[in-house]
Amino acid sequence: MKASIEWLSEYADINVSPKELGDILTMTGSKVETIEEQGSDIQNVVVGKILEIKRHINSDHLVVTKVDVGNGEILQIVTGAQNIKEGDIVPIAKDGSKLPGGVEIKTGKLRGVDSCGMMCSVGELGLDIHNYPDQIENGIMILKPELEKELGKDIKEVLGINQTVIDFEITPNRPDCFSIEGLGRETAVSLNVPFKNPRKNIDEMTVKDVNNIDGLTVEITAPDLCYRYIARVVKNVKIAPSPEWMVKRLNSCGVRAINNIVDITNYVMLEMGQPMHAFDINSIEGKHITVRRAGKDEKIITLDDQERKLNENMLVIADSKKPVAIAGVMGGQNSEIEPTTQTVVFESAVFYGGSVRKTAKAVGLRTEASSRYEKGLSQENALRAINRAVELVEQIGAGEAVEGKIDVYPTKQKIARIPLNVDRINVLLGTNLSKEEMVKTLEKLEIKVENGEVIPPYFRPDIEQLADVAEEVLRFYGYDKLGTTLINAETTLGGKNKEQKIADNVSEYLVNSGLSEICTYGFLSEKDLAKCNIEGNNEYLTEAVKIQNPLSEDYTIMKTTSIPSMMQILETNNNYKNKEVKLFDLSRVYRNKNGVIESGNLPEEKNVLTIGIYSEKEDFYTLKGLVENVLEVAGLQRYDIRKEKENKMYHPGRCANLNVGTDVVATIGEANPLLTKNYDITQRVLLAEIDIDKLTKYARKNQKYAPITKFPAVERDISMVINEEIEVGEIEKIIQKKAKKLLEEAKLFDIYRSEKLGENKKSVAYSLKFRLPDRTLTDDEINSIMKEIIAELEKNLGAELRK
Amino acid sequence: MKEQIAQIKEKALKDIQEAKDAKALEDVRIKYLGKKGELTLMLRGMGGLSPEERPVIGSLVNEIRDELEAKIENGEKHFANLEIEKKLATENIDVTMPSKKNNLGSVHPITQIINDVKEIFIGMGYEIADGPEVELATYNFDKLNTPPDHPARDIQDTFYITDDIILRSQTSSVQARVMETTKPPIKIICPGAVYRSDSVDATHSPVFHQIEGLVIDRNISMADLKGTLAMFAKKCLGEKTLVRFRPHHFPFTEPSAEADVSCFVCGGKGCRVCKGEGWIELLGCGMVHPNVLRNCGIDPEEYSGFAFGFGVERIAMAKFGIDDMRLLYENDVRFLKQF
Repeated sequence: MKASIEWLSEYADINVSPKELGDILTMTGSKVETIEEQGSDIQNVVVGKILEIKRHINSDHLVVTKVDVGNGEILQIVTGAQNIKEGDIVPIAKDGSKLPGGVEIKTGKLRGVDSCGMMCSVGELGLDIHNYPDQIENGIMILKPELEKELGKDIKEVLGINQTVIDFEITPNRPDCFSIEGLGRETAVSLNVPFKNPRKNIDEMTVKDVNNIDGLTVEITAPDLCYRYIARVVKNVKIAPSPEWMVKRLNSCGVRAINNIVDITNYVMLEMGQPMHAFDINSIEGKHITVRRAGKDEKIITLDDQERKLNENMLVIADSKKPVAIAGVMGGQNSEIEPTTQTVVFESAVFYGGSVRKTAKAVGLRTEASSRYEKGLSQENALRAINRAVELVEQIGAGEAVEGKIDVYPTKQKIARIPLNVDRINVLLGTNLSKEEMVKTLEKLEIKVENGEVIPPYFRPDIEQLADVAEEVLRFYGYDKLGTTLINAETTLGGKNKEQKIADNVSEYLVNSGLSEICTYGFLSEKDLAKCNIEGNNEYLTEAVKIQNPLSEDYTIMKTTSIPSMMQILETNNNYKNKEVKLFDLSRVYRNKNGVIESGNLPEEKNVLTIGIYSEKEDFYTLKGLVENVLEVAGLQRYDIRKEKENKMYHPGRCANLNVGTDVVATIGEANPLLTKNYDITQRVLLAEIDIDKLTKYARKNQKYAPITKFPAVERDISMVINEEIEVGEIEKIIQKKAKKLLEEAKLFDIYRSEKLGENKKSVAYSLKFRLPDRTLTDDEINSIMKEIIAELEKNLGAELRK
Repeated sequence: MKEQIAQIKEKALKDIQEAKDAKALEDVRIKYLGKKGELTLMLRGMGGLSPEERPVIGSLVNEIRDELEAKIENGEKHFANLEIEKKLATENIDVTMPSKKNNLGSVHPITQIINDVKEIFIGMGYEIADGPEVELATYNFDKLNTPPDHPARDIQDTFYITDDIILRSQTSSVQARVMETTKPPIKIICPGAVYRSDSVDATHSPVFHQIEGLVIDRNISMADLKGTLAMFAKKCLGEKTLVRFRPHHFPFTEPSAEADVSCFVCGGKGCRVCKGEGWIELLGCGMVHPNVLRNCGIDPEEYSGFAFGFGVERIAMAKFGIDDMRLLYENDVRFLKQF
């Protein structure tokens, strides 16, 4: 909301600089966005009088003029302008002057004749021709003859374009501050000067209620959306440009002047915050206004010449046949004020804000009016506004008021009554203010305190409960004066939970192991999944959570896996020719399992650690070690490693699941070559996914000390030839099963293949270490266990023992 | 015999003197002091001496023996030192050669800020809370005093899964969940990803991170909020950082404030980061709105509380001097490794 210092001064004496005023108002809640010195780009342009015009000796279309620019200074200026005559008062840009757009005017020669300045047009002064309807676009601006006494005076002052305008950010709870009056009130209280209330006469005015004015009647059929509708009529209207003072004020708020009637509606809206509308009474068929819901497929052409499709959720102002305005948004072209309009109906109404907002959104028209309505306006203010509009009509001689008002007021404005609990306010704020101090502040804001109850004025519907009162007290006590205390309450322990600790420890381990953490979006697209070989009935696709209104087709579903994001980031790094890239991502994946979303429940959300590596130095076993350490850091010791051939994202021969029972805690492997191809990475890519939630579930930190045994270990080596497809894990399982608690360690120390062994065979050698904590093992014991192990290996794996 | 002994001594001393290395010294020791050494044999030969002579000669031999042993030991030490010096001379290395180490990875700048903030608040007795990112609209909006017609619920701002399920647009949703399930005192912070329908550019991202803070107890005040944030700002942004409160409006707090911090880049003098203002807008905060307390089953007559929330990316960018938000999500290791 823009407000000029000049306009604000009508409400409060401003005794500080604009900058200071801005700072003060910011600290009381009206945040200043910008402070604009209008016309600051015009310099050294003054009022001048054309004394004589003579022909240019070298040109047919140029003339040589003598101009009086005050203080006895006469300038010779050459111009090509056609619309000037001797005696005209015009703006003169003198030597060394500046015009908008960075133009500088200097003395020079035009076709051999000295020219010591320039006469300016409306456009050259950076002004909008619409605001100067009696000027012509391609000619010199001709000022009023009475300005002859102002020769030499700065043009900005004369035209009133030297205004200082402050642009405020208005919070949605303060629609009253969407007006000069509201900001004027805040200014007065903030500067601690009297609020001048220039509209006292309006507050005291009474206008008789009537059912019809010259046959015009009003009806509200949707009282849930229209709380109050007031109509007044002015007759003998003469449509004309508005007076200069009004144009200047409209301009200072960024509103363009149109004609006196339309300008009055805008002026009242800016002044009082109440949007107004004006119709030509002749355009209202049947002379009957209905405030009703629009019909399905009803249409209206709005003032901006656009056809708008309406529906039953939208409120319209209609005559007996058709809509003439979209309520609170914009008027219709069919009822527009024309140059020939003689009788005008003013409307001042209050509509339900939520509905105006939705309608404005739906028709794609957010106007000055709708942005005020959507915050919720005061029904009481609507009456003041219409009376003010009629007052202005008479004041500027635009027409005559017709007696009486039609006032349909189905929903009265509720005024809250809030018990003033001084102690509670002090507790909430951490202050120690007396009741008297609070009351004093509230009364300055026109908030009454009667019999221990706080009664806000009509223009402050936002004050509903004690917390709102506390905020008012604090605003003028000063947010900056508020103390800084530390909570004086029961001590709380604080800290991280098990899962948070595990995630932190795991991250720390990975960073120490050379991995960099990445940050990814929670959504991706089905295309991304397809690039990772996820298609058709794959659960990663069928269980994806879909976004109704995605930002683009790249972000249509929530991640069911982080592999696509990881691959894409590896691709980015590969494109940058980054070598040895090792990354991890700790983020969420989301699964719509069994259609829970369709039954109104939230999808499954899991924390997953995803690792992605491309490096010439690392292979599957580096990754396996890394993930085993992750599990150990978290506190998970016991798990099975099983080959995984079904996961489409991984190489079917180089992928494993790490399981606890049937729960998959982690998947590790090489990326399926299809993925590396799709992402244009020529090296092998290692991937791992670790389910942090499950890891947390199974993680146990062993806190008990096991005594270090004094008894010696017995070591035996065992070497065998087995078929290539047998995994060494199976050998280890047999050794473990048979050796039970005696086994301390089984270590694979050699594996080789040779022609001598034959095709599809490999030789595997283990070093076994046996030990008991409480005594020395005997040779007999070991021999018998070794026998059992060997027998089982031969039987189950067809191993040939090598002696 | 005395003479003989003196000769042996002289010879031995000469041999010790002339020994070129540890081995030669050892030979000398064996030659004179070994089992069959010349001096040892002298002792054995004492049988033929008179009882008067025996102790005299005996002590003389022992004296010389001690002397020779000491000399030999000294010599040995000398040669051992020479040996070490020789070894040291050949084992010189270039310490400026590259090390054999595992390169360290890096923590993402967003996580770094989150970790710093967590640590500060855990120190003040806060717990870390967590909630779903795919959230019921009621926790994200209704319970937070943001009724269905509120502008924040516009489809342009919020991602919808169904009419009632959305991607949370603020971590404040966790507030409502915690208040509903926890009896005060409540002291939590909640870091996490939030989603808003903003196109990607240098300062916007449809996904970003927020940290929400919430305290509910008896007698919690706005001054406590200011004190808490002042403490936080000093610890997170530097000891000299000041906090300023300005009135503002949020649906879920009343009174509400925006908190600015003195610019931690220029110290408040005015620079590019603070746009010459000397202050940087840090966060929105306020006293939890009584409607929110009521909606979550907490009696506003008995309890009060404060809440605050801020964007992590903004702080990370200001603190690390990152001028384009997209860098945070591109994840180029040349960028990541700088943190």
